Amino acid sequence: MQHFKKLLVILLCALFVFTVVACGPKDPDKTEPVDPSKSEGPVDPGKITLANIKIGFVHVTDPNDMGYTYNHDLGTQKMAKELGLKDDQIINKFNTSEDQACENALRELAQQGCHIIFATSFGFEPHVIKVAKDYPDIEFCHATGFRAQGAWDEGQKNVHNYFGNIYQARYLSGIAAGLKTKTNKIGYVGAFHFPEVISGFTGFYLGAKSVNPDVTMVVKYTGSWHDPTLEAQLAAALIDEGCDVLGQHCDSTAPATAAEAAGVYHVGYNSDMRGAAPKASLTSAIWDWSRYLIFAVNKFVAGEEIPADWHGGIADGVCDISPLNDDIVAPGTADKIKEARDKIVSGDWDVFTGPLVDITGKVVVAEGETFIEPQSAPSWGYVLEGITVPPEVLEG
Amino acid sequence: MKTLMIIINWINAAVLAGTPLLLATNGEILTEKSGNLNLGVEGQMYMGAVTGLAAAWLTERWFGVGGIIPLIAAVVFAFLMGCISGLIYSVLTVTLRANQNVTGLTLAIFGTGFGQFFGEVLSNEAGGYVTVGAETKHVFGNINFGSLTEIPVIGTLFFRYNWLVYFAIIVAVILGWFLNKTRKGLSLRAVGESPATADSAGINVTRYKYIATTIGGGLCGLAGMYMSMVNQKGIWVTNCVSGYGWLAIALVIFSTWSPLRAIYSSIIFGGLSVMYMRVPIPGMPMAIYMMFPYIATILVLILTSIRQIKEHAQPASTGLNYYREER
Repeated sequence: MQHFKKLLVILLCALFVFTVVACGPKDPDKTEPVDPSKSEGPVDPGKITLANIKIGFVHVTDPNDMGYTYNHDLGTQKMAKELGLKDDQIINKFNTSEDQACENALRELAQQGCHIIFATSFGFEPHVIKVAKDYPDIEFCHATGFRAQGAWDEGQKNVHNYFGNIYQARYLSGIAAGLKTKTNKIGYVGAFHFPEVISGFTGFYLGAKSVNPDVTMVVKYTGSWHDPTLEAQLAAALIDEGCDVLGQHCDSTAPATAAEAAGVYHVGYNSDMRGAAPKASLTSAIWDWSRYLIFAVNKFVAGEEIPADWHGGIADGVCDISPLNDDIVAPGTADKIKEARDKIVSGDWDVFTGPLVDITGKVVVAEGETFIEPQSAPSWGYVLEGITVPPEVLEG
Repeated sequence: MKTLMIIINWINAAVLAGTPLLLATNGEILTEKSGNLNLGVEGQMYMGAVTGLAAAWLTERWFGVGGIIPLIAAVVFAFLMGCISGLIYSVLTVTLRANQNVTGLTLAIFGTGFGQFFGEVLSNEAGGYVTVGAETKHVFGNINFGSLTEIPVIGTLFFRYNWLVYFAIIVAVILGWFLNKTRKGLSLRAVGESPATADSAGINVTRYKYIATTIGGGLCGLAGMYMSMVNQKGIWVTNCVSGYGWLAIALVIFSTWSPLRAIYSSIIFGGLSVMYMRVPIPGMPMAIYMMFPYIATILVLILTSIRQIKEHAQPASTGLNYYREER
């Protein structure tokens, strides 16, 4: 044992000496290669250009989720490519929870010299508004939130909201579901009973109903944005109730694979899920976040004001559906979707066009009228006739 | 008839939800019977989950075969990885005598990171979804019992499961038999109750602790493999274990350290956890539904402590490291 200890001490000493030597100053004869981009004269420190702008991101998970964050990060990469940004101009904070950790991440990004910061999860909003007060020179953009306008009214103009008319993409994907269902019963794995989700499944349902007037839909909630186990179990419960096409508003591929295992079909969200469930995934409603990121960064560099609230739809390329799974979609799906898509892109028609009746029988959108979201974050909260939601969510 | 179908389907879902819990619970029971309180089940499950998937996926890639061979690879490597996690725990607590609670919690954090990290490595390698082929998905799906599946009620109750469901029950029965009916099982229980007494009776305490914890870890690894290969159908999804490791630790208490009671308690626990999706009670908020499994655990704790049955109690030395010199 004594010998062992001595040997260990000697080894540790050797390791220490080696480390010190290795960390010593480099050979003075060698000079660092000159970076051509840095030698183009002094950059005016006050002037922010695409060459020196720093952009921060705060995400609730990481791109490994193959869902929401994955998609948003694709947008970041696309923006970097289109604007010619270098890797060190973008700082990502992944797996940030919607609490004090978010505030810390935002402050770190500010101290690391970011000029514009994007926070991508709904629950980040109060933290964004709080931190933004301390950094009036930095622009903060928050996805899915609704409080920026209120902050502007109070004079705090460096916070912004952005989102898109994803219900339009949902509508198109709903067409694929409506044509495919045999039992005329669609299931929907939702996260929470919350306007963003309700607006999404209403768009989905209206799309299905436009091609299949007899269709009904059952919505159930997991109570979490990302819980793969609950999502799989919930999908199985919906299939047991007789649903033969599933839609989803949650982050993982679990509903798609559960549908495939049970021999039914699935319409995804956020990413093309054909790779995960080739025999079940019909199509997905997807985002292209780069549209807004490029818009906001360009505005900032040009010294113009970024609007308090921004949203775009299919016509702007902000959202769309992923390629159809041609082997399994019902015949005629592509034509029906193209027809609806043209109608939406033309701007003459939108998804929430009356007459729409909710489950209590009340007309919520009269014939000939169209409900237009007043701001980027969805506010649609009506559950329409033909949709079943868990009874307890309606009472609260 | 409709109500009956709801209940039958609910029981079916309860068994499926309970199976990974049953495997992990039995792993933890075996571990605790040796006096090691391993709180790292969640981490061990992640390690098993990612290793099982990686083994199946790489087998398919390298050898171009689907079906039973990737399945065997997944089972073997998930079990081995679970064993390694159990070994890490044993070395730290039995040989180096580190605090068991801290070691277990560390293992939970380490294993979770291990799973998520290698899951991401695999995703990068695959350039998208890490997913096994249709044949391998099929062997992890429900067993084809032919016409037996079609029998009303009984078909759904007994013949609509994947093979791991039956395997988990067999493991529980074997473990129950081992602990209660064999000499080695008796020795193991002695180690868990009073290692000093066992030591003076000539039982090799260290060896028992090591082997029980390692095999227990292996079972947790298999439970993790269930989460990735059966629940997620052979595709890597972040957070796929979803806290089931912690549920398993609660379930050890729920089943009062008995592998056989773990069979029905895991089904009850699984049933309560999926109840809100299947059995609507008008006016019952979802949050209350989600509390059911935990309320049940607390009730069992209260009842067992009121009745004070010694066989239903935690092994006396659980959580304490054994120092031979301190006898």
